[in-house]
Amino acid sequence: MRKFKEFIVEKLILICGLFCILVVVLIFIFLLKEGLTLFKTVPLSHFLFGKNWYPISEPAQFGILPLILGSLLVTVGAAIISIPIGVGCAIYIAEVAPLKTKEILKAGIELLAAIPSVVLGFIGMITLVPWIKTIFKLPTGLTALSGSIMLAFMAMPTIVSIAEDALYSVPKSYKEGALALGATRWQTIWRVELSAASSGILAAVMLGIGRVIGETMAVMMITGNSAVIPTSILEPVRTLTATIAAEMGEAVVGSEHYFALFAIGIVLFLISFAINVTADMFLHKK
Amino acid sequence: MNTKIKVNNLDLWYGTFQALKNVNAAFNEKEITAIIGPSGCGKSTLLRTMNRMNDLIEGVRIEGKILVDYVNILDSKADLINLRKKVGMVFQRPNPFPLSIYENIAFGLRIHDSIKRDELDEAVKQALTQVALWDELKDKLNKSALNLSLEQRQRLCIARLVAVKPDVLLMDEPCSSLDPQATARIEELMRELKNRYTIIIVTHNMQQAARVSDDTGFMLLGELIEFAKTGDIFTKPKDKRTEDYITGRYG
Repeated sequence: MRKFKEFIVEKLILICGLFCILVVVLIFIFLLKEGLTLFKTVPLSHFLFGKNWYPISEPAQFGILPLILGSLLVTVGAAIISIPIGVGCAIYIAEVAPLKTKEILKAGIELLAAIPSVVLGFIGMITLVPWIKTIFKLPTGLTALSGSIMLAFMAMPTIVSIAEDALYSVPKSYKEGALALGATRWQTIWRVELSAASSGILAAVMLGIGRVIGETMAVMMITGNSAVIPTSILEPVRTLTATIAAEMGEAVVGSEHYFALFAIGIVLFLISFAINVTADMFLHKK
Repeated sequence: MNTKIKVNNLDLWYGTFQALKNVNAAFNEKEITAIIGPSGCGKSTLLRTMNRMNDLIEGVRIEGKILVDYVNILDSKADLINLRKKVGMVFQRPNPFPLSIYENIAFGLRIHDSIKRDELDEAVKQALTQVALWDELKDKLNKSALNLSLEQRQRLCIARLVAVKPDVLLMDEPCSSLDPQATARIEELMRELKNRYTIIIVTHNMQQAARVSDDTGFMLLGELIEFAKTGDIFTKPKDKRTEDYITGRYG
């Protein structure tokens, strides 16, 4: 009887595991099936490197280069803002902060992670966008920069918590060794602890970036959504994600436009997948 | 014989627990002094007080004086950076940094001076030569220090210290993770190093103390029971408790 119970539990868990994998595979197959249909009529190079995204004009053009560049610009901007602040914050929490401050900061970071992206987007739209408009004297504050700033807030919790973990798991003996040689606290952090935690910190950065690139709601609300190739960070852009979200409702099922949106989905999937795999490699590097 | 480090009426508390009780001792220059005693007797604590590594532990309170070259290092205005440069420490478990062999030694030099590349190369070579690692490792200087054997790691940690030209080497059970042959070789190294450095070694291995040290202090429950020439401690201890310990009655 006991053996039978063991058997049942074992198989149940196995089914749960298989189910997860099955779902991923099904999603991927569906995405591929719908997305790849586009390339029967539109060549891959026109899709990836075409400069115009005019899905509903006659003839329609499905060049996603402006969207890729839009996503890239917003992501790079967010990374430039969030990486230094995030890693700095992680160093402060892991190495410098007194216990009380540490607890408060960690709770704060978790809270930041819990804010829904639509709320962040809304706050950005009401506060940040007008500021950007007046500070840079622009016709509109809905720019890539606004998106970058808001997305930086979304990447930060990921970066801080994973980087902090990485720093925390640096053996205390390294720190002692460095201090016993007469290193200052900063020299110890900079030359020994950061290099010991470097793979974890890189993984944190990659996962933070992964979070940014897949984000949809906030960017759709505050980046202006104009599908043109951006020449500066102070222009409106449109990201891959926002394009799918904004246009899926109006695309006729089975039309070229509809398949093109799925093809964008494949591109996004591949980007996220690449980022996660890289992060994973850093995390498991020994 | 000059006194390098003098400990006067030293008391130390971890919170409410008194770990050191009125310790008085004088450590001679260019000699090896061993501190022995059972686990938890305060010998490591005493050692760590001499380069203020106990500062890292929260809730430590210290009273008394430790004079290094006649300067009280427990003074709140003491220069910790220079103290630790002058009084370095080797730990129980070898703890090379997760950097290359070269960078492990260059670390100490870089944090104290801006130093030219060729001077750095020379200093690294000298330090490794002093610990008899140069011939073994000269072709692998850019390899990670974490791939070395335990003995090599401990030697590297000693090289890392001597590179910054300290006066005193504090060794906290430096051989406790090594096998007997490696232990013998490290002891040999200590005897060579004593021509240039004042060495204080904490050990729970009495034979080791007897083999390498000139002076020996015996500690028990936070007190320094007896402090004398090593020969005297092991052949004619004055205190009953010392005698009991070295004859294996406890510890």
